[in-house]
Amino acid sequence: MLSLDPQAPIDASELVAETPTEFRVHKRAYTDDEIFKAEMERIFGNTWVYVAHESEIANPGDYVTTSIGLQPVIVSRDEDGGIHVLLNRCLHRGSIVCRYDKGNSNYFRCPYHGWVYSASGKLTGVAQRGTGYDEEYETPEGLGRARVDTYRGLIFANLGNSEISLREHLGEATRYLDLQFDRSPIGETEARYGTFRTSYQGNWKFQCENSTDGYHGDYVHESFFKVVEQFGNRSGQHNTYSGKFAEIKRQRAKLTYTRSFPQGHGLWVSPATQETVDGLRAKYPEYVRMLEEKHGSEKLIDLFSAFNMYIWPNVAILQGQIRVIKPMKVDETEVHYYQLAWKGVPEEYNTEKLRGYERFFGPAGFGAPDDVEIFKLNNIGLQAEKVEWLILDRGLGRDDPAANARGADETPQRSLWRAWREAMRE
Amino acid sequence: MSDVASAPAMTRAEAEEFLIREARMLDERRLEEWLDLFSEDGIYWLPIQEDKGPNEATSIIYDQPVRREERVYRLLHTIAPVEDPPHRTLHSISNVEVEERTAGELTILSTQVIYAARTGVGVNEMNYFPARCEHIVRQEAGRWRIAVKRVILINRDHALPSLPFIL
Repeated sequence: MLSLDPQAPIDASELVAETPTEFRVHKRAYTDDEIFKAEMERIFGNTWVYVAHESEIANPGDYVTTSIGLQPVIVSRDEDGGIHVLLNRCLHRGSIVCRYDKGNSNYFRCPYHGWVYSASGKLTGVAQRGTGYDEEYETPEGLGRARVDTYRGLIFANLGNSEISLREHLGEATRYLDLQFDRSPIGETEARYGTFRTSYQGNWKFQCENSTDGYHGDYVHESFFKVVEQFGNRSGQHNTYSGKFAEIKRQRAKLTYTRSFPQGHGLWVSPATQETVDGLRAKYPEYVRMLEEKHGSEKLIDLFSAFNMYIWPNVAILQGQIRVIKPMKVDETEVHYYQLAWKGVPEEYNTEKLRGYERFFGPAGFGAPDDVEIFKLNNIGLQAEKVEWLILDRGLGRDDPAANARGADETPQRSLWRAWREAMRE
Repeated sequence: MSDVASAPAMTRAEAEEFLIREARMLDERRLEEWLDLFSEDGIYWLPIQEDKGPNEATSIIYDQPVRREERVYRLLHTIAPVEDPPHRTLHSISNVEVEERTAGELTILSTQVIYAARTGVGVNEMNYFPARCEHIVRQEAGRWRIAVKRVILINRDHALPSLPFIL
Protein backbone atom coordinates (compact mmCIF):
# COMPACT_ATOMS: atom_id res chain seq x y z
CA MET A 1 0.00 0.00 0.00
CA LEU A 2 1.20 3.50 -0.84
CA SER A 3 2.60 5.57 1.97
CA LEU A 4 1.07 9.00 2.44
CA ASP A 5 3.43 11.91 3.04
CA PRO A 6 2.65 13.12 6.56
CA GLN A 7 3.63 16.69 5.58
CA ALA A 8 1.40 16.99 2.51
CA PRO A 9 -2.12 18.44 2.79
CA ILE A 10 -4.69 15.69 3.05
CA ASP A 11 -7.30 14.92 0.44
CA ALA A 12 -9.61 12.93 2.64
CA SER A 13 -10.88 10.79 -0.20
CA GLU A 14 -7.36 9.36 -0.54
CA LEU A 15 -7.68 7.92 2.93
CA VAL A 16 -9.92 5.12 1.64
CA ALA A 17 -8.11 2.96 -0.90
CA GLU A 18 -10.05 0.27 -2.73
CA THR A 19 -8.98 -2.31 -5.32
CA PRO A 20 -10.79 -5.50 -6.33
CA THR A 21 -8.88 -7.44 -3.67
CA GLU A 22 -8.08 -4.87 -1.01
CA PHE A 23 -9.97 -2.28 1.02
CA ARG A 24 -7.80 -0.09 3.21
CA VAL A 25 -8.48 2.91 5.42
CA HIS A 26 -5.71 5.25 6.50
CA LYS A 27 -5.23 5.76 10.24
CA ARG A 28 -5.55 9.52 9.82
CA ALA A 29 -9.27 9.13 9.23
CA TYR A 30 -9.48 8.27 12.94
CA THR A 31 -6.75 10.45 14.46
CA ASP A 32 -6.36 13.67 12.50
CA ASP A 33 -7.92 16.83 13.88
CA GLU A 34 -8.20 18.54 10.48
CA ILE A 35 -10.14 15.56 9.17
CA PHE A 36 -12.43 15.72 12.19
CA LYS A 37 -13.19 19.40 11.57
CA ALA A 38 -13.92 18.65 7.93
CA GLU A 39 -16.26 15.81 8.96
CA MET A 40 -18.25 18.16 11.17
CA GLU A 41 -18.84 20.36 8.16
CA ARG A 42 -19.07 17.95 5.24
CA ILE A 43 -20.91 15.14 6.99
CA PHE A 44 -22.72 16.39 10.09
CA GLY A 45 -23.41 19.81 8.56
CA ASN A 46 -24.65 18.39 5.31
CA THR A 47 -26.89 15.34 5.70
CA TRP A 48 -29.75 13.85 7.71
CA VAL A 49 -28.67 13.48 11.31
CA TYR A 50 -30.77 11.77 14.00
CA VAL A 51 -31.72 14.09 16.86
CA ALA A 52 -34.55 12.64 18.98
CA HIS A 53 -37.51 10.30 19.21
CA GLU A 54 -40.97 11.84 18.87
CA SER A 55 -42.05 10.37 22.19
CA GLU A 56 -39.40 12.49 23.94
CA ILE A 57 -41.34 15.60 22.88
CA ALA A 58 -44.83 14.15 22.92
CA ASN A 59 -46.71 17.26 24.09
CA PRO A 60 -46.81 20.87 22.87
CA GLY A 61 -44.05 22.81 24.63
CA ASP A 62 -41.88 19.72 25.19
CA TYR A 63 -38.24 20.04 24.20
CA VAL A 64 -34.93 18.24 24.43
CA THR A 65 -31.47 19.61 23.71
CA THR A 66 -28.81 17.74 21.77
CA SER A 67 -26.28 18.47 19.06
CA ILE A 68 -25.74 18.06 15.34
CA GLY A 69 -22.03 17.36 15.20
CA LEU A 70 -20.75 20.01 17.58
CA GLN A 71 -23.62 22.44 16.97
CA PRO A 72 -26.00 22.71 19.94
CA VAL A 73 -29.66 22.37 19.01
CA ILE A 74 -33.09 22.36 20.63
CA VAL A 75 -35.68 19.87 19.38
CA SER A 76 -39.07 21.31 20.27
CA ARG A 77 -42.78 20.70 19.77
CA ASP A 78 -44.77 23.88 19.22
CA GLU A 79 -48.34 24.52 20.36
CA ASP A 80 -49.75 23.26 17.05
CA GLY A 81 -47.81 20.00 17.36
CA GLY A 82 -45.13 20.90 14.81
CA ILE A 83 -41.53 19.78 15.39
CA HIS A 84 -38.62 22.22 15.15
CA VAL A 85 -34.88 21.74 15.30
CA LEU A 86 -33.40 25.08 16.30
CA LEU A 87 -29.82 26.18 16.74
CA ASN A 88 -29.45 26.71 20.47
CA ARG A 89 -27.71 30.03 20.01
CA CYS A 90 -29.10 33.50 20.71
CA LEU A 91 -29.03 35.66 17.61
CA HIS A 92 -27.82 38.60 19.67
CA ARG A 93 -24.46 37.78 21.25
CA GLY A 94 -24.23 34.02 20.92
CA SER A 95 -25.20 32.51 24.30
CA ILE A 96 -27.13 29.27 24.36
CA VAL A 97 -30.74 30.03 25.17
CA CYS A 98 -31.73 26.68 26.68
CA ARG A 99 -29.57 25.06 29.34
CA TYR A 100 -31.60 21.98 30.26
CA ASP A 101 -31.53 18.48 28.84
CA LYS A 102 -35.29 18.46 28.53
CA GLY A 103 -38.40 20.21 29.74
CA ASN A 104 -41.60 21.91 28.77
CA SER A 105 -41.88 25.59 27.95
CA ASN A 106 -43.65 27.69 25.36
CA TYR A 107 -40.68 30.05 25.17
CA PHE A 108 -36.92 30.18 25.59
CA ARG A 109 -35.38 33.20 27.26
CA CYS A 110 -31.71 33.93 26.71
CA PRO A 111 -29.99 34.16 30.12
CA TYR A 112 -27.68 36.94 28.91
CA HIS A 113 -29.92 39.88 27.85
CA GLY A 114 -33.35 38.34 28.11
CA TRP A 115 -34.26 37.98 24.44
CA VAL A 116 -37.26 35.65 24.10
CA TYR A 117 -38.00 33.02 21.44
CA SER A 118 -41.14 30.94 21.00
CA ALA A 119 -41.08 27.12 20.96
CA SER A 120 -41.04 27.36 17.18
CA GLY A 121 -37.91 29.56 17.34
CA LYS A 122 -39.48 32.90 16.42
CA LEU A 123 -37.94 35.94 18.12
CA THR A 124 -40.86 37.34 20.09
CA GLY A 125 -39.19 39.73 22.49
CA VAL A 126 -36.17 42.02 22.63
CA ALA A 127 -35.64 43.36 26.16
CA GLN A 128 -35.60 47.15 26.52
CA ARG A 129 -36.20 47.45 22.83
CA GLY A 130 -37.48 51.04 22.74
CA THR A 131 -34.46 52.54 24.47
CA GLY A 132 -31.86 50.80 22.31
CA TYR A 133 -33.22 50.49 18.82
CA ASP A 134 -35.09 52.77 16.37
CA GLU A 135 -38.72 52.07 15.68
CA GLU A 136 -37.87 50.83 12.17
CA TYR A 137 -35.11 48.54 13.45
CA GLU A 138 -35.48 45.14 11.84
CA THR A 139 -35.03 42.34 14.30
CA PRO A 140 -34.02 38.95 13.00
CA GLU A 141 -36.80 36.45 12.40
CA GLY A 142 -35.74 33.79 14.86
CA LEU A 143 -33.29 31.09 15.88
CA GLY A 144 -31.36 29.33 13.15
CA ARG A 145 -33.11 26.19 12.08
CA ALA A 146 -32.51 22.86 10.41
CA ARG A 147 -34.83 21.05 8.04
CA VAL A 148 -36.80 18.40 9.90
CA ASP A 149 -38.34 15.14 8.85
CA THR A 150 -39.40 12.02 10.68
CA TYR A 151 -39.74 8.32 10.05
CA ARG A 152 -41.90 6.23 12.38
CA GLY A 153 -41.05 8.28 15.44
CA LEU A 154 -37.39 8.94 14.57
CA ILE A 155 -36.67 12.65 14.14
CA PHE A 156 -33.90 13.65 11.75
CA ALA A 157 -32.53 17.11 10.99
CA ASN A 158 -30.51 18.45 8.07
CA LEU A 159 -28.41 21.62 8.15
CA GLY A 160 -27.28 21.28 4.55
CA ASN A 161 -28.68 22.22 1.19
CA SER A 162 -28.84 18.93 -0.63
CA GLU A 163 -32.10 17.94 -2.27
CA ILE A 164 -32.03 14.42 -0.91
CA SER A 165 -35.16 13.66 1.13
CA LEU A 166 -35.07 11.68 4.37
CA ARG A 167 -36.80 8.77 2.65
CA GLU A 168 -34.16 8.73 -0.08
CA HIS A 169 -31.47 8.92 2.56
CA LEU A 170 -32.94 6.01 4.52
CA GLY A 171 -33.54 3.96 1.39
CA GLU A 172 -33.83 0.23 2.10
CA ALA A 173 -32.99 0.75 5.77
CA THR A 174 -36.69 1.44 6.33
CA ARG A 175 -37.39 -2.27 5.90
CA TYR A 176 -35.18 -3.12 8.88
CA LEU A 177 -36.57 -0.28 10.97
CA ASP A 178 -40.11 -1.45 10.19
CA LEU A 179 -39.31 -4.98 11.34
CA GLN A 180 -38.15 -3.65 14.71
CA PHE A 181 -41.03 -1.21 15.24
CA ASP A 182 -43.68 -3.66 14.01
CA ARG A 183 -43.01 -5.80 17.03
CA SER A 184 -45.64 -3.46 18.43
CA PRO A 185 -49.09 -4.57 17.23
CA ILE A 186 -49.94 -0.91 16.65
CA GLY A 187 -46.54 -0.20 15.13
CA GLU A 188 -45.49 2.33 17.74
CA THR A 189 -42.57 2.66 20.11
CA GLU A 190 -41.87 4.95 23.04
CA ALA A 191 -38.63 6.18 24.61
CA ARG A 192 -40.00 5.94 28.12
CA TYR A 193 -37.07 4.53 30.07
CA GLY A 194 -34.52 7.32 29.85
CA THR A 195 -30.96 7.23 28.62
CA PHE A 196 -27.62 5.60 29.35
CA ARG A 197 -24.77 7.94 28.62
CA THR A 198 -21.22 6.76 28.21
CA SER A 199 -18.06 8.27 26.84
CA TYR A 200 -14.81 6.89 25.47
CA GLN A 201 -11.41 8.10 24.35
CA GLY A 202 -11.50 7.37 20.65
CA ASN A 203 -12.95 8.41 17.32
CA TRP A 204 -16.72 8.38 16.73
CA LYS A 205 -16.44 6.03 13.79
CA PHE A 206 -15.21 3.18 16.05
CA GLN A 207 -18.70 2.97 17.56
CA CYS A 208 -20.38 3.23 14.15
CA GLU A 209 -18.29 0.36 12.82
CA ASN A 210 -18.74 -1.74 15.94
CA SER A 211 -22.53 -1.52 15.81
CA THR A 212 -22.61 -3.82 12.80
CA ASP A 213 -19.45 -5.84 13.44
CA GLY A 214 -20.24 -9.54 13.51
CA TYR A 215 -16.62 -10.62 13.72
CA HIS A 216 -15.68 -9.41 17.21
CA GLY A 217 -18.33 -11.08 19.38
CA ASP A 218 -16.55 -14.37 19.99
CA TYR A 219 -13.50 -12.55 21.37
CA VAL A 220 -14.57 -9.28 22.93
CA HIS A 221 -17.77 -10.71 24.43
CA GLU A 222 -16.47 -14.07 25.55
CA SER A 223 -17.04 -13.14 29.19
CA PHE A 224 -20.69 -12.38 28.48
CA PHE A 225 -21.22 -15.70 26.75
CA LYS A 226 -19.56 -17.49 29.66
CA VAL A 227 -22.11 -15.86 31.96
CA VAL A 228 -24.95 -17.04 29.69
CA GLU A 229 -23.46 -20.53 29.65
CA GLN A 230 -23.23 -20.62 33.45
CA PHE A 231 -26.49 -18.93 34.40
CA GLY A 232 -28.81 -19.18 31.41
CA ASN A 233 -31.08 -16.25 30.74
CA ARG A 234 -33.02 -16.12 34.00
CA SER A 235 -31.88 -12.58 34.72
CA GLY A 236 -32.83 -11.28 31.27
CA GLN A 237 -31.97 -12.17 27.69
CA HIS A 238 -29.79 -10.15 25.36
CA ASN A 239 -30.36 -10.75 21.65
CA THR A 240 -31.37 -14.36 21.02
CA TYR A 241 -28.34 -15.97 22.66
CA SER A 242 -28.74 -18.94 24.96
CA GLY A 243 -26.93 -22.14 25.80
CA LYS A 244 -23.30 -23.14 25.60
CA PHE A 245 -20.74 -20.70 24.19
CA ALA A 246 -19.57 -23.18 21.56
CA GLU A 247 -23.15 -23.65 20.38
CA ILE A 248 -23.77 -19.88 20.29
CA LYS A 249 -20.65 -19.44 18.16
CA ARG A 250 -21.77 -22.16 15.79
CA GLN A 251 -25.28 -20.79 15.41
CA ARG A 252 -23.97 -17.31 14.92
CA ALA A 253 -21.59 -18.34 12.18
CA LYS A 254 -24.40 -20.22 10.46
CA LEU A 255 -27.31 -17.80 10.75
CA THR A 256 -26.10 -14.22 10.96
CA TYR A 257 -25.77 -11.99 7.92
CA THR A 258 -24.86 -8.43 6.96
CA ARG A 259 -25.76 -5.95 4.23
CA SER A 260 -24.41 -2.73 2.78
CA PHE A 261 -26.44 0.24 1.55
CA PRO A 262 -25.52 2.87 -1.07
CA GLN A 263 -26.14 5.66 1.47
CA GLY A 264 -23.49 4.32 3.89
CA HIS A 265 -25.79 2.46 6.27
CA GLY A 266 -24.91 -1.02 7.51
CA LEU A 267 -26.90 -3.97 8.80
CA TRP A 268 -26.06 -6.98 10.94
CA VAL A 269 -28.75 -9.52 11.69
CA SER A 270 -29.00 -12.34 14.20
CA PRO A 271 -32.17 -14.13 13.10
CA ALA A 272 -34.61 -15.61 15.55
CA THR A 273 -35.44 -19.29 15.18
CA GLN A 274 -38.76 -21.09 15.19
CA GLU A 275 -37.81 -22.08 18.73
CA THR A 276 -37.66 -18.39 19.74
CA VAL A 277 -41.10 -17.78 18.28
CA ASP A 278 -42.59 -20.91 19.87
CA GLY A 279 -41.21 -19.88 23.25
CA LEU A 280 -42.73 -16.43 22.95
CA ARG A 281 -46.03 -17.85 21.77
CA ALA A 282 -46.18 -20.07 24.85
CA LYS A 283 -45.41 -17.16 27.15
CA TYR A 284 -47.46 -14.42 25.44
CA PRO A 285 -50.13 -16.24 23.40
CA GLU A 286 -52.44 -13.27 22.90
CA TYR A 287 -49.63 -10.94 21.85
CA VAL A 288 -48.12 -13.34 19.34
CA ARG A 289 -51.60 -14.08 17.95
CA MET A 290 -52.15 -10.33 17.36
CA LEU A 291 -48.90 -10.07 15.42
CA GLU A 292 -49.70 -13.18 13.44
CA GLU A 293 -53.11 -11.80 12.49
CA LYS A 294 -51.61 -8.52 11.39
CA HIS A 295 -48.47 -9.73 9.60
CA GLY A 296 -48.92 -13.42 8.91
CA SER A 297 -47.16 -16.32 10.61
CA GLU A 298 -44.26 -16.37 8.11
CA LYS A 299 -43.31 -12.89 9.35
CA LEU A 300 -42.97 -13.85 13.02
CA ILE A 301 -39.37 -15.01 12.83
CA ASP A 302 -38.40 -11.69 11.24
CA LEU A 303 -40.32 -9.67 13.80
CA PHE A 304 -38.44 -11.30 16.68
CA SER A 305 -35.02 -11.31 15.04
CA ALA A 306 -32.23 -9.02 16.25
CA PHE A 307 -31.46 -6.31 13.71
CA ASN A 308 -28.53 -3.94 14.18
CA MET A 309 -29.41 -1.20 11.68
CA TYR A 310 -26.74 1.51 11.54
CA ILE A 311 -27.94 4.65 9.77
CA TRP A 312 -25.18 6.87 8.41
CA PRO A 313 -23.83 8.96 10.01
CA ASN A 314 -24.80 9.04 13.68
CA VAL A 315 -27.41 6.54 14.82
CA ALA A 316 -27.99 2.84 15.10
CA ILE A 317 -31.36 1.27 15.81
CA LEU A 318 -30.52 -2.10 17.22
CA GLN A 319 -32.93 -4.57 18.73
CA GLY A 320 -35.40 -1.83 19.61
CA GLN A 321 -32.72 0.35 21.11
CA ILE A 322 -31.62 3.73 19.80
CA ARG A 323 -27.89 4.37 19.95
CA VAL A 324 -26.78 7.94 19.20
CA ILE A 325 -23.11 8.52 18.44
CA LYS A 326 -21.96 12.01 19.42
CA PRO A 327 -18.56 13.17 18.26
CA MET A 328 -16.93 15.57 20.74
CA LYS A 329 -13.31 15.64 19.52
CA VAL A 330 -11.31 13.53 17.10
CA ASP A 331 -10.52 11.18 20.01
CA GLU A 332 -13.50 11.70 22.28
CA THR A 333 -17.00 10.40 21.73
CA GLU A 334 -20.18 10.17 23.74
CA VAL A 335 -22.71 7.43 23.13
CA HIS A 336 -26.28 7.91 24.34
CA TYR A 337 -28.61 5.00 24.17
CA TYR A 338 -32.03 3.99 25.28
CA GLN A 339 -34.27 1.02 24.99
CA LEU A 340 -37.61 1.67 23.38
CA ALA A 341 -40.83 0.26 24.81
CA TRP A 342 -43.17 -1.29 22.27
CA LYS A 343 -46.71 0.02 22.64
CA GLY A 344 -49.55 -2.45 22.87
CA VAL A 345 -47.39 -5.39 23.99
CA PRO A 346 -47.69 -7.04 27.42
CA GLU A 347 -45.92 -4.90 30.03
CA GLU A 348 -44.03 -7.97 31.13
CA TYR A 349 -42.48 -8.27 27.68
CA ASN A 350 -41.19 -4.68 27.78
CA THR A 351 -39.84 -5.22 31.29
CA GLU A 352 -38.14 -8.43 30.20
CA LYS A 353 -36.45 -6.61 27.32
CA LEU A 354 -35.40 -3.82 29.70
CA ARG A 355 -33.73 -6.34 32.01
CA GLY A 356 -31.98 -7.98 29.06
CA TYR A 357 -30.82 -4.61 27.82
CA GLU A 358 -29.38 -3.65 31.23
CA ARG A 359 -27.55 -6.97 31.33
CA PHE A 360 -25.47 -6.17 28.24
CA PHE A 361 -25.46 -2.42 27.71
CA GLY A 362 -24.61 0.66 29.72
CA PRO A 363 -21.46 1.48 31.66
CA ALA A 364 -21.97 -1.51 33.99
CA GLY A 365 -23.30 -3.99 31.45
CA PHE A 366 -21.62 -7.28 30.72
CA GLY A 367 -21.00 -6.47 27.05
CA ALA A 368 -20.82 -2.82 26.01
CA PRO A 369 -17.94 -1.80 28.34
CA ASP A 370 -15.75 -4.35 26.58
CA ASP A 371 -16.47 -2.66 23.24
CA VAL A 372 -15.64 0.69 24.82
CA GLU A 373 -12.36 -0.77 26.05
CA ILE A 374 -11.50 -1.86 22.50
CA PHE A 375 -12.17 1.67 21.20
CA LYS A 376 -9.65 2.97 23.73
CA LEU A 377 -7.10 0.38 22.64
CA ASN A 378 -7.72 1.24 18.99
CA ASN A 379 -7.10 4.87 19.70
CA ILE A 380 -3.77 4.11 21.33
CA GLY A 381 -2.71 1.60 18.67
CA LEU A 382 -3.42 4.10 15.90
CA GLN A 383 -0.89 6.54 17.33
CA ALA A 384 1.63 4.31 15.52
CA GLU A 385 2.56 6.39 12.51
CA LYS A 386 4.75 3.87 10.76
CA VAL A 387 1.94 1.38 10.08
CA GLU A 388 -0.50 3.51 8.15
CA TRP A 389 -3.38 1.45 6.84
CA LEU A 390 -6.21 -0.54 8.42
CA ILE A 391 -7.30 -3.72 6.68
CA LEU A 392 -11.01 -4.07 5.91
CA ASP A 393 -10.86 -6.84 3.30
CA ARG A 394 -13.03 -9.44 4.97
CA GLY A 395 -15.70 -10.65 2.58
CA LEU A 396 -14.69 -8.15 -0.09
CA GLY A 397 -16.67 -9.18 -3.16
CA ARG A 398 -19.88 -9.78 -1.21
CA ASP A 399 -20.80 -6.11 -0.95
CA ASP A 400 -23.64 -6.05 -3.49
CA PRO A 401 -26.34 -4.05 -1.68
CA ALA A 402 -28.99 -6.25 -3.26
CA ALA A 403 -27.70 -9.36 -1.50
CA ASN A 404 -26.75 -10.49 1.99
CA ALA A 405 -23.14 -10.97 3.01
CA ARG A 406 -21.92 -13.19 5.85
CA GLY A 407 -22.27 -12.21 9.49
CA ALA A 408 -18.54 -11.73 10.03
CA ASP A 409 -17.88 -9.95 6.73
CA GLU A 410 -16.73 -6.34 6.91
CA THR A 411 -19.41 -5.41 4.38
CA PRO A 412 -21.22 -2.89 6.63
CA GLN A 413 -17.94 -1.16 7.54
CA ARG A 414 -16.98 -0.78 3.87
CA SER A 415 -20.43 0.65 3.25
CA LEU A 416 -19.69 3.39 5.80
CA TRP A 417 -16.26 4.13 4.32
CA ARG A 418 -17.53 4.44 0.76
CA ALA A 419 -20.10 7.01 1.90
CA TRP A 420 -17.41 8.73 3.95
CA ARG A 421 -15.11 8.96 0.99
CA GLU A 422 -17.86 10.52 -1.14
CA ALA A 423 -18.87 13.01 1.53
CA MET A 424 -15.29 14.06 2.23
CA ARG A 425 -14.21 14.51 -1.38
CA GLU A 426 -12.61 17.89 -2.09
CA MET B 1 -48.43 -4.11 67.98
CA SER B 2 -44.70 -4.65 67.72
CA ASP B 3 -42.57 -4.05 70.75
CA VAL B 4 -40.37 -1.19 69.55
CA ALA B 5 -38.08 -1.45 72.54
CA SER B 6 -36.96 -4.93 71.50
CA ALA B 7 -36.68 -4.22 67.76
CA PRO B 8 -33.11 -4.69 66.59
CA ALA B 9 -31.21 -1.42 66.31
CA MET B 10 -27.84 -0.22 65.19
CA THR B 11 -25.71 2.49 66.62
CA ARG B 12 -23.81 4.74 64.24
CA ALA B 13 -20.57 2.95 65.18
CA GLU B 14 -22.12 -0.40 64.34
CA ALA B 15 -23.42 0.92 61.03
CA GLU B 16 -19.98 2.28 60.19
CA GLU B 17 -18.40 -1.06 61.02
CA PHE B 18 -20.89 -2.79 58.77
CA LEU B 19 -20.12 -0.50 55.83
CA ILE B 20 -16.38 -0.62 56.42
CA ARG B 21 -16.46 -4.42 56.43
CA GLU B 22 -18.37 -4.39 53.15
CA ALA B 23 -15.91 -1.90 51.64
CA ARG B 24 -12.93 -4.05 52.58
CA MET B 25 -14.52 -7.06 50.95
CA LEU B 26 -15.00 -5.09 47.75
CA ASP B 27 -11.59 -3.44 47.72
CA GLU B 28 -9.88 -6.75 48.50
CA ARG B 29 -12.00 -8.47 45.83
CA ARG B 30 -13.50 -10.93 48.31
CA LEU B 31 -16.62 -10.79 46.19
CA GLU B 32 -18.15 -14.14 47.15
CA GLU B 33 -18.17 -12.97 50.77
CA TRP B 34 -19.82 -9.76 49.56
CA LEU B 35 -22.62 -11.78 47.91
CA ASP B 36 -23.19 -13.44 51.27
CA LEU B 37 -23.93 -10.06 52.91
CA PHE B 38 -27.22 -9.88 51.01
CA SER B 39 -30.52 -11.42 51.98
CA GLU B 40 -31.82 -14.00 49.52
CA ASP B 41 -33.97 -11.46 47.71
CA GLY B 42 -31.34 -8.71 48.03
CA ILE B 43 -31.04 -6.00 45.39
CA TYR B 44 -27.97 -4.00 44.32
CA TRP B 45 -29.10 -0.88 42.51
CA LEU B 46 -27.52 2.12 40.78
CA PRO B 47 -30.47 4.18 39.57
CA ILE B 48 -30.29 7.01 37.06
CA GLN B 49 -33.67 8.57 37.78
CA GLU B 50 -33.72 8.48 41.57
CA ASP B 51 -37.48 8.76 42.02
CA LYS B 52 -38.51 6.09 39.52
CA GLY B 53 -38.96 2.37 40.06
CA PRO B 54 -36.81 -0.19 38.25
CA ASN B 55 -39.46 -0.91 35.60
CA GLU B 56 -40.24 2.75 34.95
CA ALA B 57 -36.74 3.88 34.06
CA THR B 58 -33.51 2.20 33.11
CA SER B 59 -30.81 1.88 35.78
CA ILE B 60 -27.05 1.71 35.43
CA ILE B 61 -27.30 -1.41 37.60
CA TYR B 62 -30.43 -3.18 38.77
CA ASP B 63 -29.20 -6.49 40.10
CA GLN B 64 -31.65 -8.93 41.51
CA PRO B 65 -30.02 -11.97 43.13
CA VAL B 66 -29.16 -13.90 39.96
CA ARG B 67 -27.70 -10.85 38.22
CA ARG B 68 -25.64 -10.06 41.33
CA GLU B 69 -24.16 -13.53 41.18
CA GLU B 70 -23.52 -13.17 37.45
CA ARG B 71 -21.70 -9.91 38.05
CA VAL B 72 -19.37 -11.50 40.60
CA TYR B 73 -18.88 -14.59 38.43
CA ARG B 74 -17.86 -12.44 35.47
CA LEU B 75 -15.36 -10.52 37.59
CA LEU B 76 -13.82 -13.57 39.25
CA HIS B 77 -14.03 -16.29 36.62
CA THR B 78 -13.85 -14.71 33.19
CA ILE B 79 -11.49 -12.42 31.35
CA ALA B 80 -13.22 -9.30 30.10
CA PRO B 81 -11.25 -6.63 28.20
CA VAL B 82 -12.59 -3.87 30.46
CA GLU B 83 -11.16 -5.65 33.54
CA ASP B 84 -7.98 -6.95 31.95
CA PRO B 85 -5.97 -5.51 33.68
CA PRO B 86 -8.39 -5.09 36.58
CA HIS B 87 -9.27 -1.92 38.45
CA ARG B 88 -8.08 -1.28 41.98
CA THR B 89 -10.85 0.27 44.03
CA LEU B 90 -10.97 2.20 47.27
CA HIS B 91 -14.20 3.00 49.05
CA SER B 92 -14.10 6.11 51.22
CA ILE B 93 -17.04 6.27 53.63
CA SER B 94 -18.37 9.15 55.69
CA ASN B 95 -21.53 10.94 56.88
CA VAL B 96 -23.05 7.77 58.26
CA GLU B 97 -26.56 7.95 59.67
CA VAL B 98 -29.00 5.28 60.82
CA GLU B 99 -32.73 5.63 60.22
CA GLU B 100 -35.42 3.31 61.41
CA ARG B 101 -37.80 2.12 58.66
CA THR B 102 -40.12 -0.46 60.10
CA ALA B 103 -39.58 -2.74 63.03
CA GLY B 104 -36.77 -5.03 61.99
CA GLU B 105 -35.44 -2.94 59.08
CA LEU B 106 -33.07 -0.02 59.17
CA THR B 107 -31.67 2.27 56.52
CA ILE B 108 -28.01 3.16 56.77
CA LEU B 109 -27.26 6.36 54.89
CA SER B 110 -23.70 7.21 53.95
CA THR B 111 -21.65 9.33 51.64
CA GLN B 112 -19.18 7.23 49.69
CA VAL B 113 -16.54 8.06 47.15
CA ILE B 114 -15.38 5.07 45.17
CA TYR B 115 -11.96 5.54 43.60
CA ALA B 116 -10.98 3.25 40.73
CA ALA B 117 -7.47 3.15 39.30
CA ARG B 118 -6.19 1.11 36.43
CA THR B 119 -2.70 0.53 35.12
CA GLY B 120 -1.92 -0.70 31.66
CA VAL B 121 -0.66 0.29 28.23
CA GLY B 122 -2.31 3.61 27.55
CA VAL B 123 -5.04 3.03 30.12
CA ASN B 124 -3.37 4.52 33.19
CA GLU B 125 -6.36 6.28 34.59
CA MET B 126 -8.15 7.06 37.79
CA ASN B 127 -11.80 7.86 38.14
CA TYR B 128 -13.80 8.71 41.24
CA PHE B 129 -17.46 8.28 41.91
CA PRO B 130 -19.07 10.28 44.74
CA ALA B 131 -22.42 8.87 45.76
CA ARG B 132 -25.14 8.86 48.36
CA CYS B 133 -25.57 5.31 49.51
CA GLU B 134 -28.61 3.75 51.11
CA HIS B 135 -28.32 0.30 52.64
CA ILE B 136 -31.62 -1.15 53.80
CA VAL B 137 -30.63 -3.86 56.25
CA ARG B 138 -32.61 -6.37 58.22
CA GLN B 139 -31.83 -8.96 60.85
CA GLU B 140 -31.90 -12.55 59.65
CA ALA B 141 -30.88 -15.30 62.04
CA GLY B 142 -28.99 -12.87 64.25
CA ARG B 143 -27.02 -11.22 61.42
CA TRP B 144 -27.60 -7.97 59.63
CA ARG B 145 -28.15 -8.55 55.92
CA ILE B 146 -28.56 -6.17 53.02
CA ALA B 147 -32.06 -6.17 51.53
CA VAL B 148 -31.35 -3.25 49.18
CA LYS B 149 -28.10 -1.44 48.45
CA ARG B 150 -28.74 1.75 46.47
CA VAL B 151 -25.82 3.79 45.17
CA ILE B 152 -26.92 7.17 43.86
CA LEU B 153 -24.02 8.71 41.95
CA ILE B 154 -24.13 12.48 41.91
CA ASN B 155 -23.18 12.37 38.20
CA ARG B 156 -25.46 9.46 37.30
CA ASP B 157 -26.90 11.23 34.26
CA HIS B 158 -23.56 12.28 32.83
CA ALA B 159 -21.67 10.38 30.15
CA LEU B 160 -19.90 7.87 32.38
CA PRO B 161 -16.80 5.77 31.95
CA SER B 162 -17.13 2.02 32.34
CA LEU B 163 -18.14 0.70 35.76
CA PRO B 164 -17.22 -2.97 35.75
CA PHE B 165 -16.31 -3.16 39.48
CA ILE B 166 -18.69 -3.23 42.43
CA LEU B 167 -19.37 0.24 43.84
